Amino acid sequence: MKRSLFPRAVTAVVLLFFYLPILVLVVNSFNASRFGSGWQGFTLTWYARLIHEPEIWRAARNTLIIAVSATLVSVALGTAAAFALHRFMGSRLQRLHYTLVATPLVVPEILVGISLLMFFVAAGVGLGLFSIFLAHVTFCISYVAMVVLGRLQDFDFSVIEAARDLGAGWWQTARRVLLPMLFPGIVAGGLLAFTLSIDDFVITFFVAGPGSTTLPIRIYSMIKHGSPPLINALSAILLVITFTAVLLSQRLSRVKNQPL
Amino acid sequence: MGRETRLKIQEWLATLPSLFWLAVFFLIPTLMVFAIAFRPADPYGGIGPGWTLDTIRSLADAHYLAIAWRTFWISGLTTLICLCLAVPTAYTIARASARWRTTLLMMVIVPFWTSFLVRIFAWKTLLHPEGLIKRVLVVLGLAGPQTQLLYNSGAVVLVTVYTFLPFAILPIYAAADKFDFRLLEAARDLGATSLRAFLKIFLPGIRRALVTAFLVVFIPALGSYVIPDLVGGPSSEMLGNKIAQRVFVDRNLPHASALSVVLILAVLAPLTAVLFLQGKKGRPELFIREGE
Amino acid sequence: MDGFLEFQNVSKRFGSVQAVENVTLEIKKGEFFSLLGPSGCGKTTMLRLAAGFEHPDTGRVVLDGEDITGLPPNKRKVNTIFQSYALFPHMTVRENIAFGLRIAKKPEKEIKAEVEAMLGLIRMKDQAQKKPDLLSGGQKQRVAVARALINKPSVLLLDEPLAALDLKLRQRMLIELDMIHDEVGITFLYVTHDQGEAMSLSDRIAVMDSGRIEQVGTPAEIYETPRTSFVAAFIGDTNFFEGEVGAVVDAEYCRLRVEGLPDILCFNDKQIQPGNSVSLSIRPEKVHISRDKPEESADRNIMPAVVEDAIYLGSNTKYWVRANGHRIQVMRQHFRFFLDEKPIRWNDPVWIWWHADDGFMLDRFRKADAGLVALPPQKVGESDEGSMKG
Repeated sequence: MKRSLFPRAVTAVVLLFFYLPILVLVVNSFNASRFGSGWQGFTLTWYARLIHEPEIWRAARNTLIIAVSATLVSVALGTAAAFALHRFMGSRLQRLHYTLVATPLVVPEILVGISLLMFFVAAGVGLGLFSIFLAHVTFCISYVAMVVLGRLQDFDFSVIEAARDLGAGWWQTARRVLLPMLFPGIVAGGLLAFTLSIDDFVITFFVAGPGSTTLPIRIYSMIKHGSPPLINALSAILLVITFTAVLLSQRLSRVKNQPL
Repeated sequence: MGRETRLKIQEWLATLPSLFWLAVFFLIPTLMVFAIAFRPADPYGGIGPGWTLDTIRSLADAHYLAIAWRTFWISGLTTLICLCLAVPTAYTIARASARWRTTLLMMVIVPFWTSFLVRIFAWKTLLHPEGLIKRVLVVLGLAGPQTQLLYNSGAVVLVTVYTFLPFAILPIYAAADKFDFRLLEAARDLGATSLRAFLKIFLPGIRRALVTAFLVVFIPALGSYVIPDLVGGPSSEMLGNKIAQRVFVDRNLPHASALSVVLILAVLAPLTAVLFLQGKKGRPELFIREGE
Repeated sequence: MDGFLEFQNVSKRFGSVQAVENVTLEIKKGEFFSLLGPSGCGKTTMLRLAAGFEHPDTGRVVLDGEDITGLPPNKRKVNTIFQSYALFPHMTVRENIAFGLRIAKKPEKEIKAEVEAMLGLIRMKDQAQKKPDLLSGGQKQRVAVARALINKPSVLLLDEPLAALDLKLRQRMLIELDMIHDEVGITFLYVTHDQGEAMSLSDRIAVMDSGRIEQVGTPAEIYETPRTSFVAAFIGDTNFFEGEVGAVVDAEYCRLRVEGLPDILCFNDKQIQPGNSVSLSIRPEKVHISRDKPEESADRNIMPAVVEDAIYLGSNTKYWVRANGHRIQVMRQHFRFFLDEKPIRWNDPVWIWWHADDGFMLDRFRKADAGLVALPPQKVGESDEGSMKG
């Protein structure tokens, strides 16, 4: 059967489209030219300058603190949510639960941001690292839940029955069978939450206070008022970090039978 | 009856943590936005006392209508372009051999996970008057020295497509992967052309994924804020920008809320339409997010 | 009741489906007992009730005199072999087998010794360190058996364990299961839809349909003396005749008046009196077929027929003949070199006969059950209803 070249041509264009800006960015981070308008020699000055920016380090530190803590909490809550959604699927409570968990995935970030801002203002919660942490957990729960739910749906529950059949109580079954089998999925969800937290701008922007800058916020102000080459260098570094994290997540969330 | 209650308790114990968190930090804040839209603005910034409909009424202005309309058509155009690009791409990946498939999927996902701001900035550089693309176009004679690639609606559409295209590709790919391509062969066997088989058999076969892809691009696009802010001009202001302006510049929270309500309704409209149409077939699944 | 494992008036409903309806069953200690029936007949539910994964709506489950109805699965001295084996994928073969003993907090030395013994029994000592995804179907099944048996359960429950295996492997595992049962001596409760498995392995079989027990007996009893048309038709093939008792011939026999056929002499073990209607089942292998008219005899039922279909199967041939409106299935084994004889072909006039002792009267006949016997359709598009007449 003759296969049309059209889909493959489109795919090639799409992939080119995807990678062009990134390649230009990385190349330019080594470009001695200040405005990226033509190659002016290879240099590492921008990376060097970046390392000596205390603002950047502070922002990076904040970002990391928030990401780690938000990941831990959202993984705990998201895994429990996925478990409930799967085990008790169909009940009225779970249908409500599912709506509540799935909706943040479709709502534009600006809505989440503004609603949380108003909530914090009204509740008297000061805007700072803590408010950012609360916001990040809120949107990460949904993602973790969906990833773990996906793994649960492929889960052969007769294994749980087998454990019970062989004498294990509920806690023993969870500890020795359920959680170890679910572990890769949970880690995948955690890595996802981590990357989302590190990368979040809009929601963070709305609920951040003075002195609680994160890396994305710093990048934003750099884009608006700063030096382009530094941003290139910073972006290249972030690229490598997220690329590694995503690779790991992919490996772990892959169901065993799929070809790698 | 003891077993039934025990099961119920188990269910509540497992559900309560996430339910509680999301109710407090998602549901209630959203309701608050609705509430604050009915308060007046304090002239010194913040929320004034009492309740009023003035804030809502002030939305019925040609200015806001224009912004709403622009938000709508930019999102719509973006979604359309994304779907048109996503379908052939997802098709190619699904038809590829196992080894290629994984590579291609990774290639689609990787840029997706680089920093959102970074990618927008990369386009800003590329579309810059002295950037790479402008110079190539000038060399090819497709643009004059004065052509502005940046700071207009075109740039907004381009970058928004770039940002959301992977969201469109993945669900369509997930469905294409499960699609039985022998159906197309059967159609060819019965005399249909490739194109006909594609339109009449493949597209309807992945209907649900197309709807998912539509929602997953259109709705977040409606709420675009950063993209028009960084690569759009004054003439490409969207709802998101206006809301941000009201919050950070004008410090007029009730007005920002009112605009947010408009955005919420704009988001709910396609969602409810889809859920209503799909809800009859049992559990509507909004997402099949492979590879996340 | 002196059964070892007993179900007493057990019922279970799922939504609008009555999976098990008022079933009473007793299984003797040490026997290999099978629950046999089509999909949806309730046999798996019965197994799960015994294991503790389902709780009966009414009735009790009793094991060795003790009421275990309220006990959760982990507290019952019963172990299950699941259809999908359900081996723990993140544990090695050795760890899988040791699981039950670890949970029971047996001393380490004892666990080690028992596991080694089990590995020897299933002949997998050299695969002990492998994880399940590297094992073949047959190996996984053996590990599942070992994992269950090591706990020395009172009853071993097997849920269609051979269903996922291909034919040759299934035949081998059948023999292995049989050997394990003989060696270990534990009571086996085996669930299957495959009559071959049930008949070859079991001491006794319970045939189930739609949540009820149709008949309990040894394989030979089930086969030769089916109580109902369901049992007669589900196990093997059979022919049904409906008629009225015309006359009682002596203490043991009677004549059956069947429309269109000469009177049929049959064994009257139920002492049915004239005037009552009765259904008769006669298995195809008990019917003889030949070109020449057989010798008349007082205890033979002889009638002429025409061959409608013949399927040659190598060691035997199946014929469908029509005798005055009745379709009858005959199975003829080829005792002699087949190519030496003049074969019986389509449309040939033939004689069929059977001994009066070889038919069996059913307690209950349902028209629908006749459809379970696989008859070839007579026209393209004809539905699968084995109607005896026309």
